[in-house]
Amino acid sequence: MTDLTLTAAATLGGFAHDFSGTTLTEITPLAIVAAAIPQGDEKSAHAAIKAAYGGLPTPTETHVSKDGKTRLVQVAPDQIFVVFGSDTNQANSEVNKALKGTCYTTDQTDVWVTLEISGPNARAAMARICQIDLHRDAFPINTAARSTMEHMGAMVIRTGEDQFQLMSASSSAGTFLHAVETSLKNVS
Amino acid sequence: MIINHPLLGPRDASEFVVKGAASLIDRPDWQAENATDAFHDYMYLRDNPAGEHAELWYHEQGDRSWLVVTRNTLTHEVTKVEMARDVARARGRSK
Repeated sequence: MTDLTLTAAATLGGFAHDFSGTTLTEITPLAIVAAAIPQGDEKSAHAAIKAAYGGLPTPTETHVSKDGKTRLVQVAPDQIFVVFGSDTNQANSEVNKALKGTCYTTDQTDVWVTLEISGPNARAAMARICQIDLHRDAFPINTAARSTMEHMGAMVIRTGEDQFQLMSASSSAGTFLHAVETSLKNVS
Repeated sequence: MIINHPLLGPRDASEFVVKGAASLIDRPDWQAENATDAFHDYMYLRDNPAGEHAELWYHEQGDRSWLVVTRNTLTHEVTKVEMARDVARARGRSK
């Protein structure tokens, strides 16, 4: 048998560009694992999540672990995304182990593409394509919302003063990048 | 139109799809003696009220939750938005 070495490739080839001081970057590698909370076993699942990551997200606010490496995003009433930088291909078993098997975990890493938009024009670019109110007071740092942008399902997480992480389906990653990039060009 | 999601706050109606009357929650017992008649009514009979009307809405482009949205068909005013799960439980559903 031939020895084959598989190398992970970023969905958008690690896109990174500066548009007059506002940057648009693909965040990679980024592991995403969905943890679904079993009906009737919420207590033990919540306790395990707290023990592993130091807290729970709310429907609108994400939770960042103490070491700052893992972000928990509540994407549905009984589902949490565990998001962390990793390229080991072992994300699912790592999370499953950390949660001691109390949740149903599914690897979602390659299903999503994640962009980071950061800089003074980030909010203006977003305002044209995103119907969520991203005003500083209405959408504080660490807030997350799942909505649509240009008819594509997308999740917005505010990670800094003028910085947002945008997650969308990797199958339409190019179209999503085009939408955000065009909007950013229009305000730059 | 803005829907005041009980968990997420105000969201644009375009994120939702409407399933139909909230009476769909009251699915008949399929083992009951009168199941055929009960399912006929459940499937085909709908009220068409001029006024308050409760509907099942699905937050498809959001957190995938089912809501019961009560709105006035005459004024378009949305008077109440609840989690469908809570409504079903209040009516005696176990899950």
